[in-house]
Amino acid sequence: MSTLEQRLHELGRELAFPPEPDLVPRMRERVHGRPFPWRAVAVAFAVVVLAVAAAFAVPQARSAILRWFHLGGATVERVETLPPASERSLTRDLGRPLPLAEAERRIGFDLVLPPLDHKPARAYVIGDSVATVLLRSHGKTVLLSQFLSVGDETMLKKLSVNATVIEPVDVRGDPGLWLEGAPHVLAWIDRSTGYRERPVKIRGNVLLWVHGGLTLRLEGRLSKAQAVELARTIR
Amino acid sequence: MVDRPLDEAELVERARRGDLEAWETLVRTYQGIAFRTAYLLAGNAADAEEAAQDGFVKAHRALGRFRRGAALKPWLLRIVANEARNRRRSATRRERLALRAAGEDRPGDAVPSPEAALLARESHEQLLAAVERLSEEHRDAVACRYFLELSEEETAAALGIRKGTVKSRLSRALAQLRESLGEEDA
Repeated sequence: MSTLEQRLHELGRELAFPPEPDLVPRMRERVHGRPFPWRAVAVAFAVVVLAVAAAFAVPQARSAILRWFHLGGATVERVETLPPASERSLTRDLGRPLPLAEAERRIGFDLVLPPLDHKPARAYVIGDSVATVLLRSHGKTVLLSQFLSVGDETMLKKLSVNATVIEPVDVRGDPGLWLEGAPHVLAWIDRSTGYRERPVKIRGNVLLWVHGGLTLRLEGRLSKAQAVELARTIR
Repeated sequence: MVDRPLDEAELVERARRGDLEAWETLVRTYQGIAFRTAYLLAGNAADAEEAAQDGFVKAHRALGRFRRGAALKPWLLRIVANEARNRRRSATRRERLALRAAGEDRPGDAVPSPEAALLARESHEQLLAAVERLSEEHRDAVACRYFLELSEEETAAALGIRKGTVKSRLSRALAQLRESLGEEDA
């Protein structure tokens, strides 16, 4: 070690750091699942995905919630009608494209993926919270999105109409939901400023499940059996 | 009944199974280095505390994904440092690093003569000013590796870069510091 390096070490020991806070009490509250104080925490954008099944012959009554399901950080609501949304293709508006390692650094965890000969070169990141990669499965392009579940807080919200089939599924012991039968809409929530809906209509089926602290979402034109088969390999 | 201190792997395993007390023990073990890392990267105490807090909550949620047998510290620092960098303030809003007040000795320190203490302080202030003039990426590497005394692996984890990149950034930072201080082999 050079003299300069030794001097830098010594300098570090002489720095005046602010008093070390005790993080445990507040962390205990949050880990116990109390509502997460998003507004108190200046988090950059975190993302909520809102998937809505679009129906075209819809009664006039708007926004009535008929039934809801909760899974990890996701809530699925059945409503009578859907919010308006512009249509997007499967691979557009997924977020900021980043090299895989940079995406993992930004979201703070290693992405779970199926066994692959070559990992995806890039992931699409929104709000440093949700990462999406494009995969090929059963000859089709599939989106795999994932983010950390935080307590019981709803991070991912789906709205569906009765035209959408919603079924519980088992993904190697992890609970999941399968949504099929109508177009969907994606929207985002900005946690730093509250709810901010930006719906985008998509036309794939969706498998939603939780695994190891993550909420995961597969979207594409796979059948239920194909999607569950793929999800079971994602570790 | 446990009649010996639990080692880190045992605490992690218990925390994964939902033992919050085990997780709190781990948080207390690492909250100091996590906070100081966040402070050096975010640039102020309030953001650092928030980053460390959020980092530990996210880490707890992701414990199921922590690789058994891996070192916990770099993994935690990576998550906390990521939170801190996302809160990083502009250069003009950064709290400037400062030296501890004169006479505030560390326990166990030998007491230097007043003249030696004064010279050492001047030397530290010069060096700190030179570090503050480095680019952000070089200053971060110096802060993690030397001020926080992290290993190269831990520095790489905290900064989200490869170990080789840590080495090259440190090498360039040291060269710039030597030039800045007008020293050949300081």
